[in-house]
Amino acid sequence: MPKERSIRIPLFPLKSIQSNISMAFSLLILAAIVVTSLVSYQVSVAAVERNSQGYIEEIIKQVNTNIQSYVDNMENISLLALTNKDVKYYISDNAFISAEDRRTYEKRISDLFQAILYTRQDISSIMVFGYNGRFVSDRRITNLNPNARLQEQAWYQLAKSASGKSVISAPHVQNIIQNEYKWVVSLSRELKSTDGITAEGIFLVDLNLSIINDICNNINLGKKGYLFIVDQNGNIVYHPQQQLIDSKLGTERISEVIQAPSGSSFNVNDGDGKRIYSVQDTNFGWKIAGVAYSDDLIASQDELRNSILLYSLCGLAISLLISVWLSHRLSKPIKDLQSDMKQVEKGNFDIQTEIGQMNEIGQLGRSFNLMVSRTKFLMEEMIHNQENKRKSELLLLQSQINPHFLYNTLDSIVWMAEQKQHEEVVLMTSALAKLFRASITKDQELVPIRVEIEHITNYLLIQKMRYHDELDYVIDIDEAILPYKTLKILLQPFIENAIYHGIRNMYGIENGLVTIRGRQTDDHIVFEVEDNGHGMTPEQLGRILQRNEEDNRNQGIGINNVNERIKLYFGHEYGIQIRSEIEEGTCVTITIPKLE
Amino acid sequence: MRKPKYAIGFIILVLVVGVYSIVYFKLIGSPHKGNNVTVVLKSMNVRLDFWQAVSNGAEAAAKEMGLELVVQGPLQEGDADDQILILEDAIDRKPDAIVVAPIMDDRMPAMLDKIRSSGIELIVIDTPVDMNPAPVVVSNDHEEAGRLAGQTAIDEAKGRPTVAIIGDSADSRISAERLTGLKQAMLPYKDSLIGMYYADNSEEQAYEVAKRLLAEDNPFNTLIALNESATLGAAKALKERNKSGVINLIGFDSSVDEIQLLEAGVVKAAIVQKPFNMGYLGVKTALKLIHGGDAESITYIESNLITKENMYSPENQKLLFPFINNR
Repeated sequence: MPKERSIRIPLFPLKSIQSNISMAFSLLILAAIVVTSLVSYQVSVAAVERNSQGYIEEIIKQVNTNIQSYVDNMENISLLALTNKDVKYYISDNAFISAEDRRTYEKRISDLFQAILYTRQDISSIMVFGYNGRFVSDRRITNLNPNARLQEQAWYQLAKSASGKSVISAPHVQNIIQNEYKWVVSLSRELKSTDGITAEGIFLVDLNLSIINDICNNINLGKKGYLFIVDQNGNIVYHPQQQLIDSKLGTERISEVIQAPSGSSFNVNDGDGKRIYSVQDTNFGWKIAGVAYSDDLIASQDELRNSILLYSLCGLAISLLISVWLSHRLSKPIKDLQSDMKQVEKGNFDIQTEIGQMNEIGQLGRSFNLMVSRTKFLMEEMIHNQENKRKSELLLLQSQINPHFLYNTLDSIVWMAEQKQHEEVVLMTSALAKLFRASITKDQELVPIRVEIEHITNYLLIQKMRYHDELDYVIDIDEAILPYKTLKILLQPFIENAIYHGIRNMYGIENGLVTIRGRQTDDHIVFEVEDNGHGMTPEQLGRILQRNEEDNRNQGIGINNVNERIKLYFGHEYGIQIRSEIEEGTCVTITIPKLE
Repeated sequence: MRKPKYAIGFIILVLVVGVYSIVYFKLIGSPHKGNNVTVVLKSMNVRLDFWQAVSNGAEAAAKEMGLELVVQGPLQEGDADDQILILEDAIDRKPDAIVVAPIMDDRMPAMLDKIRSSGIELIVIDTPVDMNPAPVVVSNDHEEAGRLAGQTAIDEAKGRPTVAIIGDSADSRISAERLTGLKQAMLPYKDSLIGMYYADNSEEQAYEVAKRLLAEDNPFNTLIALNESATLGAAKALKERNKSGVINLIGFDSSVDEIQLLEAGVVKAAIVQKPFNMGYLGVKTALKLIHGGDAESITYIESNLITKENMYSPENQKLLFPFINNR
């Protein structure tokens, strides 16, 4: 196991999964398309090359057949001469022909040759040379070139040494006839006497080289391709650049062509470019070679390449789009899950992520949902517990009887007892007892309004007995609301505040009045505790509403605590409202729901 | 969220472009653009074998290199007016290169300058011209041909040459170069040169000159004729005087008449140029210049020495009879 695996550079250093996926897809697709298009290009090029090679072979065969037919024709003409009696007699040593007869023979033979020549445009001349010094040609009058010695001519020597077989010469300029210099290919053959043994002369047929030249010239093997012919000795019969090769400006692979068997082909790749040689043998010893340049063969190479490029680009574009779409589809559930998680991070536990497919991501979503709902449950439970704890705290706080109040009340009772006001003592003591009982009974948080009204009545009774004329109070409660439930010791803190902070401070004013009203609206029950004390400035009011628990010791039970209790029990839409005007009085409105 | 998507797009684009450009240029290779070359000859007359062979050579090169070729020239050899018109026309067509065999004329240097200033590559063939900077030249090596003639004269005379020379004119640059080479070859043989004679471009005048030379009492064993007409004129005089075997006639250039004289042994040897090669190398050099390569400032084309013995060798046959199709 590698120990250091802390920093691993990712294959695709991109942030989102989608980018990574689409990047990976794109690279794969790109590689696949590049490879396939390259391969298909190579394959099609190879196919085209193969086809063109077959095509070139066909062409060369055609050329071969063409040239062969001309050579065959010469052969036939030579056979004609061979079997012609006139010719035989004419060149025969034995034949006893007078000078005059000779002339007629000459004329007959010449006529025959002329007739042949007349039908054949490809033949430039037909001649017979007897070893006896006689000669006759297709011309009526034949003037031989005095400077050209017959015996030195290549075709003459060849025919002589072949003894009766026909021989084909290399192309040459025929200079045997005076003032005629024609490029020809000569077929020559030694003529035998009737016995078939004695050689008596040489027969010559000249084929216009222009025929072969034209055939070869008209062959098109691409722009640069060409065709050439060599004889068995490697001499060039036809080559479009013969002069260049002669002056060593160009080279040709003649030795390779000579060694190549008929119908074969070989590749050459040198400074002149890649090309294919296709070789065909003729029946008479020549070899025809077609040379085709590879870049020529594929005439539409550019077109081929461009179309492959175009198609592969189209394919690439489409597959890139698909890859982006696919990666989007794959990564979307993860993104959705991520954004839902963000919501939870912000504190929204009500969210449940949507589960598409039951794949890994779906399972992840399910676990997430499970986790969120569990968390939500736990949190709610915690809040509930906290609330309960707070409720009981607040109740405890409000249930406490102010020790000053107790002292003052007991003081008042003592005073009244001294005055022998028994009835008042009884009244006050029983009211105090009821007050205590109410605050120590722990059975229920919610009590009927009736019980709460009794409680404040007792309280106000005690206070009235203490303050006599300084304090007056009115309890105005709608009878209909008495059965509804309310919080225990809800109103007492406000009455206490009204007395201590509102009325008690108005020295010299006799008629302090506390009015307690209770009525119902459609859904709510509204209590109002109003005094005509000296009220508060807006600043004081603000302070009261913000007052927190620490002040409670001095200020009695904080209004806030009551408010908090209401909200804890009944919800946030309920609570208290205070309006106060200096020197006018204060009115506290308490709104609670209707609870049966 | 959007940023990485653009980044991917960009990376992919770069990859695609990169891969395809590699494929396009490295593996397949960019195709060659067809270049345009115009060849302007001294004459396009189909009867002038020399220029036809030049034209054939140029065409062979064009086919090999795969370029567009136009061959033009005046009908009359030496028609400077017509050649200048043709050159003007060629410049208007804006080929990549012009290969020209300039006819000697006072206006020609300016014309050639104009070709160059039009941004067209200039190649001069056949006849060197004085220009600054010197143009790229493809030409027969006339000096070498002269040396060849001189050497042949020495060989034929078995080391004792006494030579009379008939040329066309003192102004002819080609003749002058041939003469220079000739003199170089003859340098070891003091007093071997007995005279230099001019016969313009006329066979008749050359005949007269030769006749006069033969009549004079000034023995010489070799007659060198620096051009075709001089060769023919001299040969005529030699035949008349039955001196064909006695005096070695060495000529230049080839024609059917000269070939027959060679066969007959009247002309001992002929120095023959290779016009096909000139056309071929001219166009090939043009292509080199077009592609910005270094071309030799002068490319020389060798000449062949033709004698009766070797005139029907495969190579020389092709030189003496360059056209297979009989006209």
